[in-house]
Amino acid sequence: MTLEITLTWAALIFYVAATIMYVIGVVFSRDRVSKWALIASASGLVMQSAAIAVRWMRLGHGPYIGYYEVAIALTYCTVAFFAVAAWRNPRLNQAGLGIMPVAVVLLGGAMLASKADFPISAGLASYWLFIHVAFANLAFAAFAASFGLAVIYVVRERSQGGVWAQRLDRLPDQEIVDDLVARFVLAGFLLWGIMIATGAIWANESWGRYWSWDPIETWSLIVWIIYAIYLHLRFTMKWHGVRLAWFAIVSMPIALFCLVGIPTVYNTIHAGYIGGVESSL
Amino acid sequence: MSLQRRIVRFLGSPRLALWLLVFIGVWSIAATAVPQVGQPATTVSSWADEFGLVGTIAPVLGLDTAFSAPVFILAVALLALSTATCSWNRTKAALLRSRSLSDAAHLDRTAFLSGRPDLEMDVPPNLGDSEVLAVASATLKDLRIRTQERDGVVRSVSPPWSVWGSPVFHWALLALIVAALAGVLMRTVGSMVIPVGAAKTNERASYTALRSGPWATWMGAKRTIRVDAFDPRYVVENIDRGAVPTVSVLDGDGKVLVTQRVYANKKLHSGSLSINAPGCGLTVSIAIMNPDGAEISRPLQLVEFSQEASGGTVPLNPLALRDRDGNTILKLTATVPLDRIGDGYGEWIPAEPAAHVVLVDGQGKVLVDSVVRQGDRVPIAGGGYVRIAEIGWYSRLSLVDDPTIPYIYIAMVIATLGLSLSVLAPQRLLVAAVEESEGDRRLVMSLRLWRNNPTNRAEIERELTRALNKTKEARKS
Repeated sequence: MTLEITLTWAALIFYVAATIMYVIGVVFSRDRVSKWALIASASGLVMQSAAIAVRWMRLGHGPYIGYYEVAIALTYCTVAFFAVAAWRNPRLNQAGLGIMPVAVVLLGGAMLASKADFPISAGLASYWLFIHVAFANLAFAAFAASFGLAVIYVVRERSQGGVWAQRLDRLPDQEIVDDLVARFVLAGFLLWGIMIATGAIWANESWGRYWSWDPIETWSLIVWIIYAIYLHLRFTMKWHGVRLAWFAIVSMPIALFCLVGIPTVYNTIHAGYIGGVESSL
Repeated sequence: MSLQRRIVRFLGSPRLALWLLVFIGVWSIAATAVPQVGQPATTVSSWADEFGLVGTIAPVLGLDTAFSAPVFILAVALLALSTATCSWNRTKAALLRSRSLSDAAHLDRTAFLSGRPDLEMDVPPNLGDSEVLAVASATLKDLRIRTQERDGVVRSVSPPWSVWGSPVFHWALLALIVAALAGVLMRTVGSMVIPVGAAKTNERASYTALRSGPWATWMGAKRTIRVDAFDPRYVVENIDRGAVPTVSVLDGDGKVLVTQRVYANKKLHSGSLSINAPGCGLTVSIAIMNPDGAEISRPLQLVEFSQEASGGTVPLNPLALRDRDGNTILKLTATVPLDRIGDGYGEWIPAEPAAHVVLVDGQGKVLVDSVVRQGDRVPIAGGGYVRIAEIGWYSRLSLVDDPTIPYIYIAMVIATLGLSLSVLAPQRLLVAAVEESEGDRRLVMSLRLWRNNPTNRAEIERELTRALNKTKEARKS
């Protein structure tokens, strides 16, 4: 087992430990355990940073190509986004209960996938690759954060002041959590929009057309529209509460499908980034 | 209500915008499941067979040309109108908010207290005004709202520009939709095949395939495209860029405007014209000579790579030699037998360049059918010779002339800036002061928490009450 794989396994173990600690911390109302869960998440992040750095130096490019690299990058950004949010606002720490399982599933899936090395092909050799992928990862991280908080919101709401509401009482008021979900969705909407815009500029440079209704382009627009609907419901139609939280919960897997699932279902000119094989232009 | 007002109200309705978004989303999802026109006919027919009734209904609805279907265009056009109305409404709202913020930033205590507060709470009698305001500032700071205290007024007022994110984003989105629709109407997209060393003017006749919108401007029409050189395998920064031509664009006077190598991620720009080089092939320059050895014609055969074809190439253009009356005297085809690489063919000029030449007269009689090496000649039955003058390269260029692209980019940048402002800039108006009337002292507050605030009104009220009571108890003890 190479150093980078060992480090990634270590990161996964830390993330699993963090998830378990969040469960214990919340279920048994042990605030200290929840704090340790955040430390475990941050430790996993350090391990993953090292793993990505090692791979980056070895291959000469960042984690952009192939399912393994795409999934580790999504995991990394999701955990980093949450850790920064929880560090800046410690009252959000318990939201890790909803977010860390996403990281565990993504990284666990990556560890089961092929870890083959893919070189940068002529079609991908552009600085736009870094920009485009970075915004895709950040957008997903924001959507994952909205997902985690929305899960917490629904759990507390269903509890109606009962045992789960008490267990999750370290988090801000429901109204503020509801607002935070919308703010993370708004941040993700912005980042996803930049991802689409940078992708369009890159496509125009590379292929001579900024939009070609390729399945990934279409699905990225669909995801953007889905979150636009969420934002309209929230800010224009003044929807609040459980219905909207469910909307955020259901939307995130669609964004994930767009990022990693499309090439397995459709023929797409973007197949290269997930399969490592560049398809014809 | 007048008809005009009704239309405006209908277009500005959030429900309309919402349903249009839902429709466009659902339509797009359905479209990704239906093979679009332009895909291989076998794919379309096998899909239609597989899905039975759905396969029959989808083309009727226009889902096989989903993104140019009238229903889709109509929905997008309606969304554009809805966005325009919505942007106008948001602009009016932002103007009001920005005025309120501007006024609140300069409001003095007397003017503030003469207005109607949003929140009032009793103040413990044993606390001075400045102490009350200090407690309020500290409490708000704990709630991550920074305040400033000046002349007996505590305030946290966002700058007036903070409320302009949403209108700017919506206007830019409208501009983006309009520019994209204009692009469809104005764009010219086509491909040219140019042998190395040759040039073609940018006109309809030079294209092998061309699609131009009804408002196509042909802004690059006076330009000439020339392929100066060709590198069959260009490696830069340790990345194999494949076959790369060097392309020049010349103006009407023959002056070179731009010259560069063209490859993936490195296209050539000249005004609104952009050029990519998605493919290449071989050229066979064939000299037809009379029995005395004098050259009477030199047609150029373009040859396309094809791993399925025998020898690895197929002729692209039929060649014919005609007399003055237009009767065909000779028909000529040439292919280039490529080097074998494993089970396939190497897509480059073979190590020993040669062409398989077939020459047929007007009656269909085969005059020449042989493989001729570059520089060699073979006799034509009945007199004369065929000589392979040169085997070279051609480049297939993809040209796009779209004057709307800069506007699309500008709209995207402005939309991003507007949305960033919406996401990042807190939009709040919080002004607080202590008011004394009829012996009662109260903390009065103007409080508008519009966007991006770390807390809400209920929490502010609760925490302030708690903090004031705590201070009161501490003072008592």
